[in-house]
Amino acid sequence: MSGRVLVALPKGRLYDRAIAILGRGGISIPDASGASRKLVLADREGKYEFVPLKPVDIPVYVESGAMDAGIVGSDVLRELESDVYEPVDLGIGRCRMVLAAPEARLLPKGGALRVATKYPRTTERFFRGKHAHPHIVRLDGSVEIAPLLGLADAIVDLVETGRTLRENGMHVVEEVAAVSAKLIVNRTAMKVKSADIRHLVTQLDTVVYEDP
Amino acid sequence: MGEKTIGLPAGFRDLIFEAAETRRRIENAFASVLGAASYREIVPSTVEYLDLYARGNQGARERAIRFLDRDDALLALRADFTPAVARIVAGRLPDLRPPVRVWYSGSVFRKTGRHSAQYREFAQIGAELIGGEPAGADTEILDVALECLVKSGFPDASVHVNHAGIFRGLVNSLGLEPPQLAEIRSAIDRKDMRALDARLEELGVHGSVRKQVGALSRCVGDERALEEAGGSLVNDESRAAIASLEDLAAALPRWKGRIVFDLTEIDEMEYYTGVMFTFLSASHTAELGRGGRYDTLMREFGAEIPAVGFSFSMDTLGECA
Repeated sequence: MSGRVLVALPKGRLYDRAIAILGRGGISIPDASGASRKLVLADREGKYEFVPLKPVDIPVYVESGAMDAGIVGSDVLRELESDVYEPVDLGIGRCRMVLAAPEARLLPKGGALRVATKYPRTTERFFRGKHAHPHIVRLDGSVEIAPLLGLADAIVDLVETGRTLRENGMHVVEEVAAVSAKLIVNRTAMKVKSADIRHLVTQLDTVVYEDP
Repeated sequence: MGEKTIGLPAGFRDLIFEAAETRRRIENAFASVLGAASYREIVPSTVEYLDLYARGNQGARERAIRFLDRDDALLALRADFTPAVARIVAGRLPDLRPPVRVWYSGSVFRKTGRHSAQYREFAQIGAELIGGEPAGADTEILDVALECLVKSGFPDASVHVNHAGIFRGLVNSLGLEPPQLAEIRSAIDRKDMRALDARLEELGVHGSVRKQVGALSRCVGDERALEEAGGSLVNDESRAAIASLEDLAAALPRWKGRIVFDLTEIDEMEYYTGVMFTFLSASHTAELGRGGRYDTLMREFGAEIPAVGFSFSMDTLGECA
């Protein structure tokens, strides 16, 4: 087993921003650009090993201890209800998770409200807090089209600019959660590899709060 | 039909040859250390009333694998050893003449958690010391636990030690309502210090108290780290708890360097009332087990007597051996 700290990087929309914020914290990864096909990337000083993974898998890797730390959106983290440390809110990849529908407010109908989402647990918690129990339809992509096609009455999804919603004739009904990327750390790794993990936490915390 | 192979349900596994032999060797090492320290083995029933787990650690009740008896009573596969030990010992006091020293080894069964990487049958091995003078009992149980680890092949094992009274004392001095308290605990539990400090400030908590919370959230290390954290705390309960940790370390010079004071971990603080242990293997980045003092548990079984204990994951011990 490696003595280095293993850090999961999110493939996709957060990837470049995660590399950039690590770089500003003095942790540079020479092979991070898209050209490399390596599965494991080392930083220049050789303290860390970075593994690009699908965001939705990162909390599972970190919680189980297969990875010591990771960078992942709070949307995924809340959905999986992961038991990990979240020492730094990185403030990158900011967006909103919203409840949206073809009308700006949800009209009570005869039957149960049908809500389509990639985040069934978060949606269930949100409605439970309002003592409502809609029928939740779990989808994997293009959630915003579900009401148009008659699969659902409303959706819970991420919104950055709101353009996709508008183009599909949807309006924001209510914000479910503010979303941003977090540094997450495995509970045991924080104790056993504490020096290198603390360095990572301190460097990123400094970038976010003292050198924005 | 005879050619069809039958697999295993998800979350269960067989231990074959080497894996079984490793487990046997570890269990024998524990049995020898515990026997020499006058701990006696008990084998609690594999099936209990679900109600057993309504007492003590609530997580066990939620995750118990349950089924109905012939009379429709709710039963559960053993989901935790400690409540069973408490039931057995409480029912036999004072015949057992405390302090009572027991150990156990066997499986607990729990519903699968959030991801499929988890098993539903976990092997555990542990010991409980019920009754006795608390400071001496804490020292004895920690000494025995570390000795078990060393003798079963974990020479680099260490233990992170905390005391529930340190944080409890500080929190009580804040005068917060339960929902706000839950938020504060959640932020500490996630080690999200910026969110914690911002929320405390919003709640109007004085700067000097916020500094104390900050000091706790950074305190990991030897006696010096403990002394430093202790210096910033002003309430009596926290200070008494820190003093008891200092005494614990002083009573165990043999394990100096293995004992790390870690005041940042507040997981399971509802369950433990005093000292709390997390056993780690540095070479495997693995949590081997936990333990601590739970003086209120036996009361829930009708016996007014303090207790301290530890429990290791035999699965993790086997994988790291």
